[in-house]
Amino acid sequence: MTLEFALFGNPNTGKTSLFNLLTGSYAFVGNWTGVTVEKKIGRLKDNLGTLVDLPGLYAMSPLSKDESVATTFLLENDFSAMINIIDASQLARNLQLTIELLEFGKPAVIALNMLDVAKHRGISIDDQKLSELLNVPVLPVVARSGRGCHAVMETMAHLKDVKKSYFSLDYGFDIEKAIGSLESIMPDVKMNKRWLAIQYLEGNQVVVDFVRLSADSLEAARIAERLNRTFAGRSRSITAAEWIHHVRKRYINRILAKVVNKKEEASSSISTKIDAFVTNRFLGIPLFFGVMYLIFHATFNWIGNPFSNILDAFFSGPLTDWTRTVLEWMGVVPFIRDVILNGIIAGVGGVIVFVPQIFVLFFFISWIEDSGYMARVALVMDRLMQAVGLNGKAFIPLVIGFGCNIPGVMAARTIEQPKERLLTVLISPLMSCSARLTVYSLFAGVFFAKYQALVVLSLYFLSIVMAMIMAKIFSMFMKKEKSVFVIEMPPYRIPNLQTILQSTWDKAKGFVKKATTFILGGTIFVWLLSYTGPGGVNVDIQQSFLALACSSIAPIVAPLGFGTWQAASALVTGFLAKESVVSTLGIIYHASGDGSLNESIRQAFTPLQAYSFMVFTLLYIPCMSTVPAIKHEVGTAKLTLFTIGYCVILAYLISFIFYRTGLLLGF
Amino acid sequence: MQLSELKPGTYAKISDLSQIDRVIRRRLMDLGITVGEKICYKSSMPFGGPCMFESCGECIGIRRSEADCILVECE
Repeated sequence: MTLEFALFGNPNTGKTSLFNLLTGSYAFVGNWTGVTVEKKIGRLKDNLGTLVDLPGLYAMSPLSKDESVATTFLLENDFSAMINIIDASQLARNLQLTIELLEFGKPAVIALNMLDVAKHRGISIDDQKLSELLNVPVLPVVARSGRGCHAVMETMAHLKDVKKSYFSLDYGFDIEKAIGSLESIMPDVKMNKRWLAIQYLEGNQVVVDFVRLSADSLEAARIAERLNRTFAGRSRSITAAEWIHHVRKRYINRILAKVVNKKEEASSSISTKIDAFVTNRFLGIPLFFGVMYLIFHATFNWIGNPFSNILDAFFSGPLTDWTRTVLEWMGVVPFIRDVILNGIIAGVGGVIVFVPQIFVLFFFISWIEDSGYMARVALVMDRLMQAVGLNGKAFIPLVIGFGCNIPGVMAARTIEQPKERLLTVLISPLMSCSARLTVYSLFAGVFFAKYQALVVLSLYFLSIVMAMIMAKIFSMFMKKEKSVFVIEMPPYRIPNLQTILQSTWDKAKGFVKKATTFILGGTIFVWLLSYTGPGGVNVDIQQSFLALACSSIAPIVAPLGFGTWQAASALVTGFLAKESVVSTLGIIYHASGDGSLNESIRQAFTPLQAYSFMVFTLLYIPCMSTVPAIKHEVGTAKLTLFTIGYCVILAYLISFIFYRTGLLLGF
Repeated sequence: MQLSELKPGTYAKISDLSQIDRVIRRRLMDLGITVGEKICYKSSMPFGGPCMFESCGECIGIRRSEADCILVECE
């Protein structure tokens, strides 16, 4: 039998880092709350079994959607043991969750992380003593570097031999009485009934729903009601849930008195000093836009483009020539030769040349995520977001969406209020993902070479502005709901270069993979359409199926300034993946044989038309891979179709306005 | 007095949290911030934006209207 372990812990305690170390796989790590929104399963090293990484949570009772995953997991899965990672510098609050886990009654091991941070704050912890008092193994680890992980593995391997520890706190007469009555009506499940009863009294919605389905829910509700009345009758306004928390806190404080040795309070930390600038009343917002501008400038002008040009020169020059020579030498039929040279190299190559920009952008996004700046951005942007019916936390999924819309849509789950969550999902396809970057890189490189960073930044800015406007419009049609905003500011960390590189690679890998599978397939298909026509094979491209089919679409987008069948077919294939816009243009213009792609595009578009085309590409449709992610989050096909529909209409409208205004102004 | 009336950088003790929104009170409780804890007001964003405070060794951002519901006592 394989063992199954589950990993629990407060948000931002290094859970994902530990998961990666224990499983040897790589999952995404960040320095903000809510990096893991769904459980992830990994295979442990040394064939020990499997490890499930659950989203971070402070307490079992969920406030947001991602937090309910852990309780659901406990209720539905049969697993062997749990690992609880705790932050040594925040021991008091981390132990609250630990108690809830120990009450569940499965074998457990505690990984004590961030001892270095604690030490920096003058806190030292006696892990042996802690282990004795809680009656579970406590192992110091440094999850960022991997120290101590081996000991955790060893303990885990022997956990199954450890007798089930029984942990129980006395919550006082009234609550114990209610727990007793609840235990007696709980269904006959293979689970700790006391735990279920306590969670029920704390108001854990997942447990309440579970009881409703499988026990006498009326009686249970009556017991909880009676208890709450007893508490309400007392002088201090405190609920049963708060009392339970209070009892645990008292217990924790007694433990802390024995294991924690606190020296002089360290003077103002570096985080405080940085925050004095970053969250300054006046500097906060300008600083954020400044950082964004620097990132784009570095991405394009400093690093991305030079590398991109080298790659481009290589693909269109030596690589094409070599391949042609080799293919001719092998004597392959002209058809295959054309597929490879005009289809694959022109199409996929056209996308691959933008890998440098994507890597650099992802590198910076990872840097922001790992440094702790993300939470500050949420704080700084909250006022603006509040004005459109969202909260500052919604800004994080939107920034993630700059990388790729899919994780952006998923990150929306950390938002507490259902309305704000839905709104965030609805607007996230407007976020300019890295795939769209290929289109900007191509067009801005040709038409606005000098001001490339500025032009691209303007598109990102437009995407945020449009998202805000649409959020405002949608929220006017939605039920009013109180907006809440609480966010933790994690201490700044100097990002670990290895983590960042890994994270960059992890994100960019998807891009490269997509280019060599999805886009490759699409490219060959598009090339076939352009190669064949009613007149047979190897027809003039103007007479191909592609040209004929897309000529009928072209008039629709003609008022936006790009009514050619070439542009129309690029947009149609863009639904597959936004990079396909570039690969399709690559094939079409390569086949017409007028020199390089850049040159062909310079002749086919005016700068104004190019800008209008970029605006349209930015907004017009979520790509095929994003649609299921949206459907998963919004729940209904109707809302999904609505999301697609409004994007198309919005894109048309905005491009129209841009193009027509531009014409009037004489561009 | 209200938390937001404190001078930035000064410490006080939380005396009442009962007026604050239920969800926020739960989250503050999760973070260990309950009546009797020390709290330090740090800064606020312009145009009535959110504000930041420190308590239990943690920096937290909440909206101004919520910060007004946190009552504190100066020591």
